[in-house]
Amino acid sequence: MRTTRRRLGLVARNVGVPILSLVLVLVLWQLIVVGFHVASYVAPRPRAAIDSVTQNWSLLWPLVLGTIRETVYGFVVGATLGFFLGVIMAKVSFLQGLVYPVLVLSQAIPIIALAAPLVLILGFSTAPKVVIVAWIVFFPVTVNVLDGLSHVDRDLVNLAKVYGASRWRTFWQIEIPATSTPLFSGLKIGATYAVTGAIIGELAASDGSSLALYQEHANSNLNTAAVYGTTMVMTAIGISWFLLVVGVEVFATPWRRRTVARRWPWRRGRDLVDQ
Amino acid sequence: MTDALLALREVAKSFGDTVALSPTTLDIAEGSFVAIVGPSGCGKSTLFNVIAGLLAPDAGAVLLAERDVTGTTGHVGYMLQKDLLVPWRTVEDNITMAKRLTGRVTNEDRAEARRMARAYGLGEFLRHYPSALSGGMRQRVAFMRTLMTHQRLLLLDEPFGALDAQTRLEMQQWLLQVWRDAERTVLFITHDVDESIFLADRVIVMSPRPGRVVADFTNPLVRPRTLEMLTEPDFIALKGQIMHLLHGGAA
Repeated sequence: MRTTRRRLGLVARNVGVPILSLVLVLVLWQLIVVGFHVASYVAPRPRAAIDSVTQNWSLLWPLVLGTIRETVYGFVVGATLGFFLGVIMAKVSFLQGLVYPVLVLSQAIPIIALAAPLVLILGFSTAPKVVIVAWIVFFPVTVNVLDGLSHVDRDLVNLAKVYGASRWRTFWQIEIPATSTPLFSGLKIGATYAVTGAIIGELAASDGSSLALYQEHANSNLNTAAVYGTTMVMTAIGISWFLLVVGVEVFATPWRRRTVARRWPWRRGRDLVDQ
Repeated sequence: MTDALLALREVAKSFGDTVALSPTTLDIAEGSFVAIVGPSGCGKSTLFNVIAGLLAPDAGAVLLAERDVTGTTGHVGYMLQKDLLVPWRTVEDNITMAKRLTGRVTNEDRAEARRMARAYGLGEFLRHYPSALSGGMRQRVAFMRTLMTHQRLLLLDEPFGALDAQTRLEMQQWLLQVWRDAERTVLFITHDVDESIFLADRVIVMSPRPGRVVADFTNPLVRPRTLEMLTEPDFIALKGQIMHLLHGGAA
């Protein structure tokens, strides 16, 4: 009973407070636009921006789906690539010296400049956007995994060795879990950038139907409400993706906030063996 | 041939110009509790790492039950001052860690881990993560993990060095109880002369520059050990001899 109440309090704090701050932003927006008599073609009222989304939802929805697809594919490709790059660089110091400068170089290239050759190679399909998202996402993942693996407690690795553990077991049972904190830091940074990458990709490498071009179109028609509305949609996609990654982290690393392990129904059998 | 569980034959190790361990020969009888005392740099940790197989000696051989294990791992239980519990596993899963690293954790292993934890006062914490435990409790879990390696020889490197005096005394008594039940051979490194005499059958004194064994005392105290023994004449006399070796004429 007490834990239930405490948990409710936690949910209220973790969900309620962010919603409150979102409402505050909307209220502030409304006050500024109304208070300073801002013309609707310069900045719309929140209500107008939201209406522009809901009223055109059937038109927007396929575009939103496209952006989500690019974001998710690109994130998965980038995170997977980034993870394995980090592991390989941590394990083969020769490759670390060789590859690290190239990685830094890759991030110094302006993404926009990357788009043109990508279109030439991959056309106007989903592929160039996925590449751009992956290009942005892999870097923080690689850097964090590399850093995490280089800082695993040597004594712990030695203990596993003394016990007679193989390198493979030591890697999966000790080194990878010990790297979970920096790994998720990298994934969260990647998640926040992923949608931005997808939008840049759509701007630079689209042939007509994409969320970014929809916004461009609205902008050139002085449909400011739609511009703001689309921005809100893009932001919502970004936040949702970030929250999903945070959710996976919370689920995958229970020891960081719990003192007692969860009880899984499918593992009850093994909990009863000696009773 | 020898009836010793562990036999070191002229084992030596240097790091560059520093002789960490000059040629050392040592027999450790099965079932005994042997303490090694000495100041920093006397080669006791080098000795441990050679026995455990983390370091290959420059010369000599390490024999365990008459088998040459020089430079190989997987034949001892090993525990340090740092408990090295993994934060992402529960107490129960930390206790069974050795099996998870080398084979498969069976239901029998889990049952044994639970029996042990219950017998030694941690039964309520089986499903807790280590972060919820005190320093003394964590060291108990670390020792149970060491026992669950099912190795006959356990190397304990200052396992209670980071605990406060009160907890350390409790842990020493606890360790003696567990050791009596578990029937293992223990090699125990410590800085603490009182601890070495209270726990061990035999106290080996080491000295630095170069790291070497300078004395090997048989402890006259009988078992079971009690706290009253800490002030007995036999205890004081042995302590005096060891202190004299460790601190020279200044003591």
